[in-house]
Amino acid sequence: MIETETYTINIGPQHPSTHGGLHVEAIMDGEEVKDAIVHVGYVHRSVEKIAESRTYAQFVPYASRLDYLASHLPTLGYVQAVEKLAGIIVPERAEYIRVIVSELSRIASHMIFVGSLAIDLGATTGMVYCFRDRERIMDMFEMSSGQRMIASYMRLGGISADLPESFYPAVESFINDLPGMIAEYHGLISGNEILQERCKDVGILSAQDAVAYGVTGPNLRASGVDYDLRRDDPYGIYPRFEFRVPTGQNGDSWDRFMVRIEEMEQSGRIIKQALRDMPSGEIQAKVPRILKPEKGREVYHRVESSKGELGFHLVSDGSDKPYRVHVRAPSFINLMVLPLICRGGKLQDVITNIATLDPVLGESDR
Amino acid sequence: MIGKGLLKGLGITLKHGVEKPKTIQYPEQRPYLQERFRGCLEFDYKNCIVCGMCTKACPNNVLSFETAPIEGSKKKRLVSYTIDLQYCMFCNLCVEACPTNTLFFVHDFELSTYRRDEIKKVYIPPALTQVDAGGGQAELIPQDALEPDREAEAEAKRLKQLQAMKTALSKGGQKVLAKYVDTEEDAAVLANLLQADEKKRDKMAALIVDDKEKARKVAQAFVAKERKTQAGGEEK
Amino acid sequence: MEHLFTNIAQILTSWMVSLGLPPIWADLILLIGQWTIIVVIVTLNVIVLVWLERKISGFIQERLGPNRLGPFGAFQTIADAMKLLTKEDIIPSQADRWIFMTAPMLFIVIAVMLYAVLPLGQGMEVVDLNVGLFYFISLGSLSTICLLMAGWGSNNKWSLLGAMRSVAQMISYEIPLAFSLLGVVMLAGSLNLSEIVTAQNRYWFILLQPVAFLTYFIAATAELNRGPFDMPEAEQELTAGAYTEYTGMRWALFFLAEYTNLVAVSALAATLFFGGGQGPWLPSWLWIIIKTYLIMLVFMWMKWTFPRIRMDHLMSFSWKVLIPVSLANILITGLGIEFFRGMGW
Repeated sequence: MIETETYTINIGPQHPSTHGGLHVEAIMDGEEVKDAIVHVGYVHRSVEKIAESRTYAQFVPYASRLDYLASHLPTLGYVQAVEKLAGIIVPERAEYIRVIVSELSRIASHMIFVGSLAIDLGATTGMVYCFRDRERIMDMFEMSSGQRMIASYMRLGGISADLPESFYPAVESFINDLPGMIAEYHGLISGNEILQERCKDVGILSAQDAVAYGVTGPNLRASGVDYDLRRDDPYGIYPRFEFRVPTGQNGDSWDRFMVRIEEMEQSGRIIKQALRDMPSGEIQAKVPRILKPEKGREVYHRVESSKGELGFHLVSDGSDKPYRVHVRAPSFINLMVLPLICRGGKLQDVITNIATLDPVLGESDR
Repeated sequence: MIGKGLLKGLGITLKHGVEKPKTIQYPEQRPYLQERFRGCLEFDYKNCIVCGMCTKACPNNVLSFETAPIEGSKKKRLVSYTIDLQYCMFCNLCVEACPTNTLFFVHDFELSTYRRDEIKKVYIPPALTQVDAGGGQAELIPQDALEPDREAEAEAKRLKQLQAMKTALSKGGQKVLAKYVDTEEDAAVLANLLQADEKKRDKMAALIVDDKEKARKVAQAFVAKERKTQAGGEEK
Repeated sequence: MEHLFTNIAQILTSWMVSLGLPPIWADLILLIGQWTIIVVIVTLNVIVLVWLERKISGFIQERLGPNRLGPFGAFQTIADAMKLLTKEDIIPSQADRWIFMTAPMLFIVIAVMLYAVLPLGQGMEVVDLNVGLFYFISLGSLSTICLLMAGWGSNNKWSLLGAMRSVAQMISYEIPLAFSLLGVVMLAGSLNLSEIVTAQNRYWFILLQPVAFLTYFIAATAELNRGPFDMPEAEQELTAGAYTEYTGMRWALFFLAEYTNLVAVSALAATLFFGGGQGPWLPSWLWIIIKTYLIMLVFMWMKWTFPRIRMDHLMSFSWKVLIPVSLANILITGLGIEFFRGMGW
């Protein structure tokens, strides 16, 4: 009998496909992964502590920097949490605009997911096409907020400015072109047999495990658990929209991929409805310049971000600054299943699994 | 059939391969910037009412300013305004907080500099740096760029004034001199004296331009001395 | 035009003989001269190829590719080569120095040796070897050793993984590669490359051996370590695989050798399946250049479209699909030959 030895291989923190400063310590037996240990914290900026030294309104741009790939979604979660805390009622039109930009953010984030999966598996061109299409969303964000990536468009009680006239034709043509873009991804990326081989039955996450680990978002839905906060714990005006929550069956990388592709289509549907129903009127509620919520109030507000359940826990001490802010970062919690789904796979599957879990390290490390 | 997806992928890349590129050749071709695009943060001193809303709104202590009291008024005037762009998040909170559109974003996005201190922008309202600046030139000049210019300008101005004063005195200039002596008679005496004596005239002109208090004393001394010599002459 | 280069060679030989040199010496000098010219042309050609590859990837990705230096960015590769030449040559302190240093040199030597037998036109091969194809395949499999040396010598886990992958991959794909060529050899009845070209006077072998061509093409992509089979490099997984620790000119030698191999394999495909230098109007050496470049374009096109295949799928694809298919192809070819011979063709 030949004696064999395992060895450790450090994937990251400087590695082409770890999506930022992620470090995965893989314990290998040849090409097979025996175990994987996830080390996070390379992008830690102590965002939660910063929040304690900023006023409620000042934290908005920092919230944008949590999930920088879908920057409207964390700001939406944060401003809605503060609005809950202080009892601010947001004007109708602002709510609709918030829905439109956050769903656009979700599409942008999923486009990056598709692109980064493609490049992590070696198909460079797929990445370029996804980023080319995402550029149109970035242009729309530039129109509405003035910034492309880290928009900080949401404000307590509304949004910073009304949508400009040029926004409407841009978003309409984008929504009309979206099926064509998705068809192209299907043709180039998901239709490719090599990619299918690399994703199917790779990194299987069972529904029980997903729930036990607290996995949320598309990763949970890919495991077959039909759970979407937009429908099951609605916030804002989401109950008014009609959309389907896509789910997978096997919980493998392929399902995680397909669920996101379909979510892009559903987001497109929501945007269409929001554009149709959008009323005119105010975009900003009257909010005191120095906001001092009642002492001792505590809220937890969660939104369905592109990565999963993004929650903000705010505690007020009656001053103009929050006493404590905690962010429930879906990327962080989703990443924790990485060892589970990597065990027994190949080294190349680790890359596929990281890509399909779609972590954003800015959010995970906070 | 295996291979169908591969061929379809090849078809898609071929289709895009013959299409026109979608990229912008950046330094030659400028990107189209939307109207609200937030590039560099700029400050216009003319509208500033020194309310401090911007510094309160800023999450990252980018903005700071110094003030000085205006005499005879409760208001304050701006001495200098600093935007430390290296800490700026371009979040738009200060611009929204500003009640007078003093702070605004411009479309200039090429903000890299060679040295770290160059990214710090200091605005000094010209009213402070240029005394009697002839209507106040409406240009913003950062402090370090302004310093040498101001000295040279002041020197040139002084020479010009001195020359003007000398010619005025050589032609009489009773009206100018009346400010420095008590009576009009004294002024006339002084004017006559200075017209005759070039040395004293130059000294007087320099004093009038540079130090008006001293000029008054010297002028009075001149007049007293002249009176004395005149009186002495009469006695003799 | 057709006999431009052969005429030059003849003139040179007769000139040297007229100087009083024994004919065998004249032949030897000419041989060395031809050899040097081919090596120089092949290396310079890499500059064009790198530029072409970057341009093609640019066009496919709706970019422009290099466009700063020279017309259409043509001098970009030269600038890059300059940079690589002047870069510091870093040898990791824990590396096995000799193995680390010799691996790239050996790799490029093997790559240029392949050109000895390739007919680059009618009567334009350096050595008209009667076992040319055999020589080509056996030399081609040697490059495995260089990659293993590079991976082992670097003393880096990524490098070693890349090297082990390349060994497994190249050995597995040698077999379908050789088998697929066997069909052609059976049709031509010779291992001599110029005779195989002559045998395609009536039909190009792509028409008679489409399956063999497909197997050859896939196996050759794997042999070249090009996408979608770029396991040893596998940038997204192994950072740069066997080449991780190499810098400057040593790394550039690997790069050079890979492109040289690409040209050789494409030229072989053109020779075996597309009638070599045969074609109307143009001289044979131009035809082979055109055909080689067209095949290389397909290689590049594939690389920039497909994702990377997984290692175990790669192995099972070779052993479970390619080898049975190529064996079946040999069988059918043999039967076909017997059948048509029986028919009296």
